[in-house]
Amino acid sequence: MLHDLLQGTDTGGLFIIQDSGSCSGRRLLWSFIKAALDRTEAVHVLGFEVSEDELKDGLKGSPIERLHFHNAYSDPLAWTGSAIFTVDQFCTERVTKLIKQTSQVKPAILAIDSLSWILRHVSPSAVCKTLQQLKNGGCAANVIGLLHSDMHPRGTVGSLCHLATSLITVKTVLRGDHATITKRLKSGKVLQGEEVFTIRDDLTVIGQGKPSRTEPQEQMCISNMADPTANLTFNLRLSESQREAKEKLALPFVFSKEKKAALLHTGSGRIVYEPDANDDYDQEDPDDDLDV
Amino acid sequence: MAASVNDTCKQSVERTSINPTSFQKKTRNKLLSIPGTRLSVQNGQLLVSTGVTSLDYVLGGGLAVGTVLLIEEDRYDSYARMILKYFLAEGVVCQHELFLAAAQDHPNDIFQELPDPILDDVVMHKPADQPRLSSEPHGNLDAMKIAWRYQNLPKVQSGLASSSRFGHYYDVSKTMEPEIRQAAKCHHFYLPEQPRQSSATRSPVLDSYAALLKSIEEVIRREGFSVAAPPTKSRNILRIGLHSLGSPLWGDDLCCQDNPKHSHALTTFLYGLRALLRSSLSVAVVTVPSHLIQSRSLRGSITRLCDNAIALESFKGSERETGPLCKDYHGLLHVRQVPHLNCLTSQLPDHKDLAFKLKRKQFSIERLHLPPDLSETVSRVSRAEAAGAAALASACGSGNKHLDF
Repeated sequence: MLHDLLQGTDTGGLFIIQDSGSCSGRRLLWSFIKAALDRTEAVHVLGFEVSEDELKDGLKGSPIERLHFHNAYSDPLAWTGSAIFTVDQFCTERVTKLIKQTSQVKPAILAIDSLSWILRHVSPSAVCKTLQQLKNGGCAANVIGLLHSDMHPRGTVGSLCHLATSLITVKTVLRGDHATITKRLKSGKVLQGEEVFTIRDDLTVIGQGKPSRTEPQEQMCISNMADPTANLTFNLRLSESQREAKEKLALPFVFSKEKKAALLHTGSGRIVYEPDANDDYDQEDPDDDLDV
Repeated sequence: MAASVNDTCKQSVERTSINPTSFQKKTRNKLLSIPGTRLSVQNGQLLVSTGVTSLDYVLGGGLAVGTVLLIEEDRYDSYARMILKYFLAEGVVCQHELFLAAAQDHPNDIFQELPDPILDDVVMHKPADQPRLSSEPHGNLDAMKIAWRYQNLPKVQSGLASSSRFGHYYDVSKTMEPEIRQAAKCHHFYLPEQPRQSSATRSPVLDSYAALLKSIEEVIRREGFSVAAPPTKSRNILRIGLHSLGSPLWGDDLCCQDNPKHSHALTTFLYGLRALLRSSLSVAVVTVPSHLIQSRSLRGSITRLCDNAIALESFKGSERETGPLCKDYHGLLHVRQVPHLNCLTSQLPDHKDLAFKLKRKQFSIERLHLPPDLSETVSRVSRAEAAGAAALASACGSGNKHLDF
C-alpha cells in the first residue's frame, strides 16, 4: 500500500505522516518528495523545521529544478525584518498565491514540514480549515504534511487525522520502520494496512512485507492436526437407504399424530385416551381375572 | 313537483348518510395529514421515518416531529454519513423539504450521493427471513420429531421490525435519479460560502453557529413551517440535516483542545435549535464527531440536549478485539438517549446490545448474538491468558493444551 501512495495516482488528497519522538517520519516525507520529483511534478515545500540546504542535501541525485523551497526556517515569526515565509502567512490565499507563482504543466505537490510547528502558533481550527480548502482547492494535486503526534493533545491530532484522506503512522520495530496506513476512498470505504519498510540512502522505500504476528500460528496448529474422522475401523456415515430406514423407524414413547395435535392445541383441558395394545377392554370381564 | 320531492328525498338521503343524528363530533381542525408521517401508537406524536426502518423501530416507531436526533459518528464517518443520506432520501421520496448544512463537503455533493429508492416494494422485511434455525417447513407436525412441543412457539426474531410498513428501502449501490432529486426543494448552508461576519458582542455562540441558526430560522419563517403560521396551504415537514457539527471546520475547538475555549458554543446552539424545532413542523438529524471530544462531561451534555441520541461504533476504527463479530456485522449501535415527549416515561428499546450491518438494500440493526466460540480456550481462560499459556506451552512442549482439563 505504501508504494501505491508513493506513486501519487490519486489527486485531491491530504496525506498526513504521523510520527513520534522515537521514530522520525521526515525521511518518509522526503521519499514522497523525491518520488514526486522523479515523476516530473513540481513540489513546493514549506520548510519550518529544516533548512533548505539540509533538504537539498538529502535529496541528492534527484532533479531539483522543480523543487521550490519556501524558507520558513530562518525567520518564521518575523522577528527580523527579512522574513520570507512566516507562520501567519499559512492561510489559503497566501499559499495558493505562492503555488500559482510558478507556472507548471501539472498541478504541484505541497509538502509541509511540519504541521506541528504551525499548530504551535495557529489555532487548530484555522489549520484544519486551511488544509481542507487547500485539499479541495485544486491548485495543489496533493498536500503532504508531517505531524508529530506527541506534541499535541489527542483531540488536535485526532481532528487533523480525521481530515486526512491517507494517514501513515510510523514507529520503529526491529526490522525497520513499521507503518500503519489508513486510506479513505471517495466512496466512503476505508482501507487499512500495515507494512514494514526501510528507506535507503537515496530515499527509495523498500517494503519488507507484512509485520509478523502471533495469531496465525494458532490457526496453523489446528489445521495441521490430522482429521480424526479418517482411518477409522467403523463407519460414521449413512447410505441413502440406511437414512430412509432410520427416519421411518417409529420411536418408542412417541405419541400418535392426533395426540400430538391435541397437546399442541391444548387449552380446553380435554383428556385424550388412546387404548394401548394391552388395554383389551372386555365388557363381560372388566378385571380380566376369569379363568375362562 | 315530483322533481322537487325527488330532490328533497335525495337530499335527505344524502344528509342521513352523512349525519344520521344531529350529534356532531367536535374534531380539531389541527389534525394534520402530511404525506410521509403517521401518528405514534404510544403517545400520539406525529412521526416521520428516518429512512432506515430498523432505526425507526429502535427509536420507538420513528422520529417525532419537532425533535433532534443526534448521531455520534463512527471513527471514519462512513456510517453516520450514510444514515444522514438515508434521512434526506426519505425526505425526497415523501416530498418533504430539505435543509442541509455542512462545513466539510459542499451540500450539493452530498445530495448527489443520495441512495436510490426501491419503489416497487420488492424487498419486504419478513420476520421469517431471519434464519436462526435451519430452514424447516413451518406447521408440519413431522418436522420436529423429538422437540415437537416447541413447534408452535414463535421463532426467535433477531432483526428489528414493526409489523406495519412505514418508510422506504433504498439501494445503496445506485444513486438517486436527478429528476426525483430535483423535484424536492432543498436549501443549502455551506460554511465556506457564507459571508464572514464578526460579531461585536461576546456571545457564547460562535459566528458559524449563529449564522446557521439564523439561516434555519429564516427558512422556517419564509416557507411557513412554523406552527403559529396561518394554515393557508397544505403543510409540509422540513428535514434538517447538519453534518459534523463540532468539528474544527466549523471554527469550534471542542474537538481539538482538552479544555476548549468555546465549550458552550455547541451546547448553546443545540438549545436554540431545539427551541426552533419545537415551534415548527421540522425534524433535525445532527452528526457530531464525538470520538474527538476528550471531555466526557461535554459529550454527556451534548447527548442530554438532544432528544434522541445514538452512537455508532464501527469495527474498522475500534481497538477492541472483535474477531468473530467482524464477519457478520459492521459495527455496534448504542442508544444513548430516548425521548420522553409529553409523557413521564419513555419507550426504552427491549434490547440494549444492538449491532448494525450495511447491506445493499437495507441498513439492518439487529440484536447482537455472539456466535458460539468453538476454540479450545473458551470459558476457561481469557484471550490474554491464552496467549501467555500458548507461549508457555510452546516453550515446554506443544500439544499439551488439548489435554488440559
